[in-house]
This record gives sequence, C-alpha cells and structure tokens, in this order.
Amino acid sequence: MSTMSLPVAPVRRLRRAWLMQITLVPLVLLGVWEVWAVLAGDSHAPAPTRVIESFIELVAQGGLIGATVESLGRVVSGFAVALVLGVVLGILMGSNRWVRNLLDPIVESFRPVAPMALLPLAILWLGAGTPAAVSIVAYAAFFPLLINTVHGVSRVDRKLVLAARTMGVPRWRILTKVVLPASLPAVLLGSRLAMGVAWTAIVAAELGVGAKSGGGGSGGIGAMMFVFYAYNVDLNAIVVCMIVVGVVALLIDRLFRFAEHRLMPWRT
Amino acid sequence: MKLQTTAPKLRLQNVSKQFIAPRTGQLTTAVTAVDLEIQSGEFVCVVGPSGCGKSTVLNLIAGLDTPTSGSIEANGQSIRRPGADRGVMFQDYALMPWQTVYDNIGFGLRYGTPGEGLTPTERETRIRHFVDLVGLNGAEKKYPHQLSGGMRQRVALARLLANGPDILLMDEPLGALDAQTRLILQVELLRIWGETAPQSQRKTAIFITHDIEEAVFLADRVVVMSTHPGRVKAVIPVDLPRPRSEHTRAEPRFGELAEQIWALIRDEAYRAIGGLGAAPQATNEAVA
Repeated sequence: MSTMSLPVAPVRRLRRAWLMQITLVPLVLLGVWEVWAVLAGDSHAPAPTRVIESFIELVAQGGLIGATVESLGRVVSGFAVALVLGVVLGILMGSNRWVRNLLDPIVESFRPVAPMALLPLAILWLGAGTPAAVSIVAYAAFFPLLINTVHGVSRVDRKLVLAARTMGVPRWRILTKVVLPASLPAVLLGSRLAMGVAWTAIVAAELGVGAKSGGGGSGGIGAMMFVFYAYNVDLNAIVVCMIVVGVVALLIDRLFRFAEHRLMPWRT
Repeated sequence: MKLQTTAPKLRLQNVSKQFIAPRTGQLTTAVTAVDLEIQSGEFVCVVGPSGCGKSTVLNLIAGLDTPTSGSIEANGQSIRRPGADRGVMFQDYALMPWQTVYDNIGFGLRYGTPGEGLTPTERETRIRHFVDLVGLNGAEKKYPHQLSGGMRQRVALARLLANGPDILLMDEPLGALDAQTRLILQVELLRIWGETAPQSQRKTAIFITHDIEEAVFLADRVVVMSTHPGRVKAVIPVDLPRPRSEHTRAEPRFGELAEQIWALIRDEAYRAIGGLGAAPQATNEAVA
C-alpha cells in the first residue's frame, strides 16, 4: 500500500477507540474471574482458560457440534410446524371476526401456560426423544407467530384492499397480493420472536427430557448440559454450553434481522 | 351546444345512505335524496363542508358501498359492486408500499380485470406508456416512501389511467399537496383528462375537493353539497372556456363563480369550525 489519504486515519483511530471502549469492561471481568478461580485453588472451578480448554476438547471430540446441530434441527422442525399453523390460523383469525371470536378464548387460555408445563405430558405421550422436544418448541413458537400474524392481518390498511377491489382484483388474489405482503412485517417480527423462544425452549426441554431418559439419551445441547451437571460434574463444560447457547441465540436473531431487511426492501 | 339525446353516463336517483354509528349505535343519515345525472366526458367537481357526504357519494358510485334507498346506474346498468370501469383515486393514494412505482402502476393490469386478454408484452408497453405520460421516467424502481407527495400523486393517477376506466372517481386527490404543486398538477390533470380532445373522447370525471377555486378551475359543473343531512344544495355550471390555463384564474368570471359557490356554503363552513355562529353578513361586501 502506498500513501494513505487523509480522512482514513481519523476514521481508523475512531474505530480503534470504539473497539477499546466496548471491550474494556468484558476484558477486566474476565481477568478478575481468572484470578479469582486460580486463587480459589479448586482445579475444577471454571476459569476462562479452563473453559477455553474444555471448549477445544469438546469440539475435537465432535460432541459439542453434534449436540448443537441436533438441537438446531429440533428448533427448525418445531418452528416450521408453528410457522404453518400460526400463519394460517393468524390469517383466518385476523381477517374473519367470526373465526376470531370462536378461537380467541382457547388461544388466550393456553397462552399463559409455559411451554415447560407441557413437558410431563409430552414425555408421557411422545417418549423422551425428538418428538417431545419438537412439540414443546412448536408450542412455544406458535403463540408469538399467531398473535403477530393476527395483529398484522387485522391492521392491514383498508384503503389498500378497497383500491384492489376497484381495480377488479378477485378476492383470493387480494389475499395473496395485498393482505399477505401488507402483514409481512408483522409475520417476520413474529418469526424472530418465535425463533428466540423456540431456542430457549429447546434447551429447557432437552434438560428436562434428558433428566427423564437418564444419561442424555435424548441428545442435543440441553441433554449435554444435563450430563455434565448430573453425571460427570464438569462446570467448565457447562459454561461452554451456556456460551454456545447464547451465541447461537444471537446468531439466530441476526439472521432473522438480515432476512427482514432482504425480504422487505421497501422498508428503510 | 348539441342536444344530449343519449342516456347519461351516470344517473343517481333519490339516493340515500344511512348507517348505524359504531360508537353510539345511532342511525345516521350520510346523504339523502341525491339526484344527479352526469354526461359522458363531463368533468364534475363536488364541493361542500366536511360531513356533507361527498366521499359517501363517491364510494356509492364506486360500488364500495350500497345505497340504503334509491338507484345508481352507470351506462344504464345498476351498480352493485366495484368494477374496473369505475377507477378510484383515493385521498391518500392507497399505493402498495411494498411495490415499486412501476409495479404500483401495473397493479390492476397484473392482478385485476383490466389486464385480462393482454400478453405480458402488451402489459409492459401499457405500463411504460403511463409512466411516460405522468413524467415518472427514472423513478420506476423507487418505492412510494422514497417519493415526494407530488410524485406519489402521479403514480396514483397513472395507476388509475392504466386500468382504462370509463369513469374517473377522485377523492381529494390533490388535498395533501402544497399550494404551488397543486396549481401545476391541476393543469396537468386537465391535459391528461383530455381537455384538448372533443368531449366524446374525454373520460367522465367526478372530482371531490374542499377547494372552491380548484373546483371552478377544473369542472364543467360544480355540485355543491350541504350537511345535516348530506344533500345536493345546488349544481353550478362553469361556463369558462377550455382549454383552461393559468390565465383562467385571472378572469372576472372565475372570481364570480367562486364567490357564488362560497356564498352557498359559507354559513355552514363557519358553523363547522365551531361555535362562531353564522358568518358575519358584512364580510361578503367588505371583500367585494
């Protein structure tokens, strides 16, 4: 590289200052944590360096990535079920007052029931494996999708529907060409929220299913955590799992925000 | 003037519309006993204070609403539902926010009855034609939120015309624009409507406005409506020559007509702005 143009240097300096500011507190906390763990003298106490070692080990064995992929697979299946049910029912309830009056009491009475409260039934009926975990995820993801779709569909600007009618657009096409695109922002928002709760639910469900199946027969990152907690007590490995769960949640959120941006170019 | 022997384009006979107010549950009369005949190629403006049922009449003609009593006919056929033969331009344009200028203009041609029997190429040519007509070249790929009020209004006008309606129904289409843009677009609207063409080739237009001068400038006839209940108070023929231009506004006859219409609605307009009672009698003379 030859000469640098003038404005670049200040920009770089600003960026470096920003990077230092946002990393300062986390680095200090990590340092304090490391010192505390070493001083504690317990060779099993989780410390940043031991967590990193544990992470490398778990990845090398293949167990961590396999478990994460398995959990993600369940989330995606459960989310897909919830997406279809939530959007179809949401369109019906949002566009038809009759359907809404019929279904609203049921929806509102199930909504406050936490997904985990369904776990005993799910395990008894579906066994301690993937079907139980998927059904918990579907249940958790269903409500944000349904409620946001109903909201989006019922709030579609009536003028747009009227305008389409005056252009001789048939009713089913008004649904696909006006109502659906107009409620897309709400559906995508519902999807992002649903995916968030789905990921939270899978970890909890696998922890619970793992407890029942004994020894992590159900697989997934939640079951992996259960094994490290109940069998070979390994705090460092549990922390690794916690971090992976957090990072995956963050990535999912970013992915959905990116998708929202790409699918709705008309929104700046 | 030649004698009109053919049936009118639009005929409203003793039309009334009542509805039950959603909040109070009271039976409210929006308009009553509206009789109106509009000839083919005529430009009719409807003015009146807010609440006089201007928009109700437009919605009834559009078929978006049905009258409680009376009959509405277009080309001798009773109106029951919306149809692309009666194009509507809404006050806030009702453009699809997720579609580009080009796709908005082509909406009816793609998804509605106006596009039936057209090949994709014919459709494209038609959309292009109307993009050009309203001067939106270069803005085809923009979304409505990226446009100025004047440009959105052009998109709505192009969409209206692209569907090839027989009757143009416009609900305060220039209402949201600033005063200068309005004056320019009034002239443009008349050009696009076909002011320079013989009457047989012009579209039939019904244009709602609260701006009296706008009504006089555009119309062949001005329908003056009145409130409580909404009804037609007077129909004023506008005998200003066409084509009209900026100079039309300076003609004494223009001022006379505006004055005459204002006299018909001023009392109600004063009452509508709340508690001021009747208009002071002196104002009229003092200004004149």
